[in-house]
Amino acid sequence: MINPSTRSPVWQARLPFIAFLVVALAVPALLTSGFQLRLVSLICIYAILSMGFNLLYGYAGQIAMGHQGFFAIAAYAYALLQLKAGLPVLAALPLSLVICALVAVVIGVPLLRLRTHYLAMATLCFGLVISGVANRWIDVTGGTGGLLIPSITIGNKTVDRTTLYYLIVAATALVLALQNFIVSSHLGRSLQAIRDDDRAAAALGVNVAVQKLRVFVLSAVIAGLAGIGFAVVSRQVSPSMGEFPVLVSMLTIAVVGGLGTRYGPILGSIVVVIAPQFLTRFGDMETLIYGLCLLLFLIFMPHGLSGMIKSLGRALSGRLARRTPPRLAPKHAVKKGVGR
Amino acid sequence: MDKISVLLLAGLTNGSVYGLIGLSLSLIYGTNRVINFAQGDFVMVGAMSAILFMVTYSLPTPVALLAVIGVVLVCALALEFAVYRPLVRRGAPPLTIMIGTLAAAIIASGIALLIWGANQLYVPNILSLDPITLGPLTTNLQQLSIISAFVIFLLVTWFLLYRTSFGLCVRATGANPRVAQLMGIRSSRIVRFGFMFSAFVSGISGVLIGPLLGGQVSMGVALTVKGFMAAILGGLGSPFAAAAGGLVIGLLETFVAGYGSSLYAEPIIFLLILLVLLIRPFGLLGDFEAVRR
Repeated sequence: MINPSTRSPVWQARLPFIAFLVVALAVPALLTSGFQLRLVSLICIYAILSMGFNLLYGYAGQIAMGHQGFFAIAAYAYALLQLKAGLPVLAALPLSLVICALVAVVIGVPLLRLRTHYLAMATLCFGLVISGVANRWIDVTGGTGGLLIPSITIGNKTVDRTTLYYLIVAATALVLALQNFIVSSHLGRSLQAIRDDDRAAAALGVNVAVQKLRVFVLSAVIAGLAGIGFAVVSRQVSPSMGEFPVLVSMLTIAVVGGLGTRYGPILGSIVVVIAPQFLTRFGDMETLIYGLCLLLFLIFMPHGLSGMIKSLGRALSGRLARRTPPRLAPKHAVKKGVGR
Repeated sequence: MDKISVLLLAGLTNGSVYGLIGLSLSLIYGTNRVINFAQGDFVMVGAMSAILFMVTYSLPTPVALLAVIGVVLVCALALEFAVYRPLVRRGAPPLTIMIGTLAAAIIASGIALLIWGANQLYVPNILSLDPITLGPLTTNLQQLSIISAFVIFLLVTWFLLYRTSFGLCVRATGANPRVAQLMGIRSSRIVRFGFMFSAFVSGISGVLIGPLLGGQVSMGVALTVKGFMAAILGGLGSPFAAAAGGLVIGLLETFVAGYGSSLYAEPIIFLLILLVLLIRPFGLLGDFEAVRR
């Protein structure tokens, strides 16, 4: 049977990608205020973060709740490499991602032996440790105040806000392409096999431990990339980057957008970044509404916005198909035949 | 010597609370395989509603205690009816239910934020905080009450689970809910009992630890995570293993903070957990889970 999530017609797979690129590239022309541009950058950054999480949880079924830790580690590494070691941006960026990957390998080897709940709890502890260290290791991390990020200079030219935005869009497109490539490649299929049944996957020759570690490290590096982006856009690193709210937004994005879907992370981050702009008028109610939305989505729309769009699309094409004379037998008849 | 005894008592106090949260977590996990992210928020609700009833309404202590227990139990029922049931009815996998309880935790702290505000509040003490001397140890009744509550709840849980026919039902549901149902056990009631009993335990520990920690709306998450650490270290499979894990974490945390710096406490605990996981993936004492798989 053809798996719809791995193989779809070319236009269907490419269309949202092109739509994303067109919209993202047109944004600076349409939006004038810096605040709006910053919001769109934030959408891109959260989308990057969630695409890593999507690969790990949505496709491979390994839930890790410590990605806010990697988000913060890479940002701190990026800041410290520039401030303390005096490295240029082009060296600091890859080096901090390498640091992120090393940390992911070190904690991934023992932690990935765990399953489901244990994995979630252990990685959550990791996230807590990172935010604790960021808060209390004041000599290096600057405590709650955090560190200021120097503006990006390549050669002797400072990158201005619009260029920075284009850089972030490029990074998002790159990660999106990477995600789509992985999902439709051998790795993606073995990840989904692990998600559905790891023993069966192992029996079919998937090296479960190695594949899990690979996707864990990859998603940690992607989270780190998002962290660096976030730090550059907000021009500072602070311990709040490694704290609980980041995890909550990441989970909300995953759930609202739809787990294990290609464009769920982008849809989810649009909602999660834009919605609080409307929620601020509720003041103290914000937390409550956040939680309620998460819960309602979980109960009533378990496949998120992507699932809704897909079923809408199916309903529309169903209506179209009804107008044209049916070439196939009605669905239930087909099903019956298969059943027998 | 003086420092050691002070740290020992403080560690035992904190460890008792972590242990009680770990015990509650593993009780719920034992009945329905769900990790309850809102467990720390039960502690928060316990502490904060103690403020509400004892300070704002100035009710007499026993009445206030009953009211607090009532509030906590209502929260547990709300969690079961509004989060657990609908998700289970729609066939959600356990991890989705876990995210659902996380949503419940956010909702709980959101509502608490509306009622009590974001500031740290003083939680009234039921027992006196005056120092008393027991041989070489200097302590106060509040601390002692937490440690004794830990012991009492351990005994009660042990008695319930292993010495009553109801406990047999609970354990049967934990081992295999479907078969238990075929044997005439109402699994849904057992699950509700799990939620209510663990909420009761956590609520009481909230009332007791409140005066020492201070009540804050956002305290739930940190406590939940400490409970997780306890449960992983000891093993989720058995409530007693999780409780023991809590004691170890509480003691370790206080001693490292006392002799080194609080900076090292959490990383050291995490390293310990990593080491334990390398050797025993299901926790130090968690055989149950390993046998099941």
